[in-house]
Amino acid sequence: MSDSVTSTSATITFPYKRSLGPVMSAFMTALTEQRLLGIRSGDRVICPPREWDPDTAADLSDTDLVEVGPAGTVESWCWVATPSSQHPLDHPFAFATIKLDGADTGLLHAVDAGSIDAMSTGMRVAPRWRGERKGHITDVEAFVPGESAEGGGGESAAEPVTMMEYNAAITYTTPITPNEVRAAAANAEGRFLGLRCPTCERIYLGGRGYCPVDSLPLGEEHEVDLPQRGTVTNFTIITPIQYPGQTETDPFARVHVLLDGVEVVVPYQALLDVPVGDVRIGMRVAAMWGDQPQSSGWTAVNLEGWMPTGEPDDDDPNLANRIC
Amino acid sequence: MAARARTSDDIAIIGWNISPMVRKTDKTEAQMLLEAITGAVGDAGITRREVDFTCAGSCDYVAGQAFSFVQNIDAVGAWPPKRDSHVEMDGTWALYEAWVRLLLGDIDVALATGSGRSSTADPNLIYPAEMDPYYLAPLGTDAMSFAALQARALIDSGAVTERQMADIAVRARRDAKGSDYAQVSGDFDADALLATDYVRAPLRKHDLPPITDGACAVVIARADKARELCENPVWITGFAHCSELHYPGMRDLRRADAITSAAKAAGVEEAPVEVAEIQTAFTHEEPLVSSALGLGADTAINPSGGPLAANPIMATGLVRVAEAARAVRDGGKHRTLAHSTSGPCLQQNIVCVMEGSD
Repeated sequence: MSDSVTSTSATITFPYKRSLGPVMSAFMTALTEQRLLGIRSGDRVICPPREWDPDTAADLSDTDLVEVGPAGTVESWCWVATPSSQHPLDHPFAFATIKLDGADTGLLHAVDAGSIDAMSTGMRVAPRWRGERKGHITDVEAFVPGESAEGGGGESAAEPVTMMEYNAAITYTTPITPNEVRAAAANAEGRFLGLRCPTCERIYLGGRGYCPVDSLPLGEEHEVDLPQRGTVTNFTIITPIQYPGQTETDPFARVHVLLDGVEVVVPYQALLDVPVGDVRIGMRVAAMWGDQPQSSGWTAVNLEGWMPTGEPDDDDPNLANRIC
Repeated sequence: MAARARTSDDIAIIGWNISPMVRKTDKTEAQMLLEAITGAVGDAGITRREVDFTCAGSCDYVAGQAFSFVQNIDAVGAWPPKRDSHVEMDGTWALYEAWVRLLLGDIDVALATGSGRSSTADPNLIYPAEMDPYYLAPLGTDAMSFAALQARALIDSGAVTERQMADIAVRARRDAKGSDYAQVSGDFDADALLATDYVRAPLRKHDLPPITDGACAVVIARADKARELCENPVWITGFAHCSELHYPGMRDLRRADAITSAAKAAGVEEAPVEVAEIQTAFTHEEPLVSSALGLGADTAINPSGGPLAANPIMATGLVRVAEAARAVRDGGKHRTLAHSTSGPCLQQNIVCVMEGSD
């Protein structure tokens, strides 16, 4: 275990599918037809359209949608010199609020002006349509300077668009604390490392940084080696269903093990060489370590599971309650 | 001063703690909170056992984990079990909930926290996920772009100039030299700042807040308990929040009416305000927010350096509360306020007015 490993990264994707409702469904469907719609509310036309009036909250869902634009006037803008991976263009562009002709509110979208020098408040812009449109705000690739819409062609949606997808991906890097690094290193050597709270004497596994009961930081000085034998306190038999990453095909047991002589329960452990029908509360078991640490990111998982010792079962009726 | 006689229903701030403000901490969020809470209850002269209710402000999208606040409860010392709540908002809103909870009258002491590790991921990629998912998020609309759109609207209207914005950055960084919780501080020249390139025109680097990891904890108590525990409780005399439309294109970005409404509800105008700690993370927001709060030239704005010196997302507002309380308890001021904001272009706003003991 390298001391230099102090963080771990993971990319989380958020694949959202959302229903659009009648008003946004009409707006998105019109985008596939290279048309921009607003919604009438009293004397105003609101674009992008909403199901309610933004000032009065009056229900607009039965109100007529009206075509606006395609050209409009830039009300405010900013220049994005270095676009992010989520921005609609991969080269410098402007975000702008655009009052489309016939609308009374501003649509926020990108303006592909080529240069900041081509941008000004009050300038006229028109949409550049994508060749393939799916009923999504990015069916307008960007607005461009001028009065005339550009791009487009291709097909309109054959049916009203009722759903939309939004896929975001964010990469998170989180710290691995020194306690966690030492706990993983001990595991790789075939040892359980615990941290004993100096106040309540509870022992925690896994390199926890503090005692949550006494709110005290825990560190190297609180570390204790833990026993490698224990008793099954409770268990569950899992019948696997197949999902990505599931490698099990037959029913298998997960057991909780109360370590000998300490108040530590190791949860959800694999039980080795025991048919699922023979798993019992009270079984005496010992940790079985592998020959080679199985490296998985920063963790080194070396524990293969728990093997029955052959000792007589512990018949303490309270064992089943020991799940933590 | 229009000092009102205090009753047993009054609530006071009796302790607080602000964590170190750094670009990237090697601590987990729970560890940051553990230290901040230990500091805050220590400042209040109590232990965690005496806290009857806790409310945390944090954000799962910032942490990169669903229900991330559940782990943070470890920092509270929730054994024996404690009444607990959470808001997916800045810690100032957590303090508001704690304040409302104490108004019920059956418990005496509450703790509010705000925490965030912005270094966990790129804030420009996190922010869009919190926006309107139909019209805004798919465009990757980030906080800096929203702020820059509002800055342009203000500049175009003559409400602020890029020179004034640079002057605000210079003052904030200079004031921050005296703060223990500043990430950016020092003496700068406005001409030199204005000679730098735009980051997101019309915003330059000095118009933007730093990216900060940090946490803050504040302890409040009902009047009798506050007087028992504390020689100089900082009384919360007004606390209100107000929100306006989410979609910026449907608002007049030259105005901040939600701030004015919240300030009125919190009674800001009832007496002079000596210090205002306001969550203006972008320079152009300062004149808009100050004006919307109804503050005059005799109010010191962000003497701590404010969010331009340190901007721990989800705690930035609660730090404003702690700094405004400090101005009363330790700085000898009589009446101060804290403001916090959330959402694009100052959408949601909360105002907390504080007074010292007479």
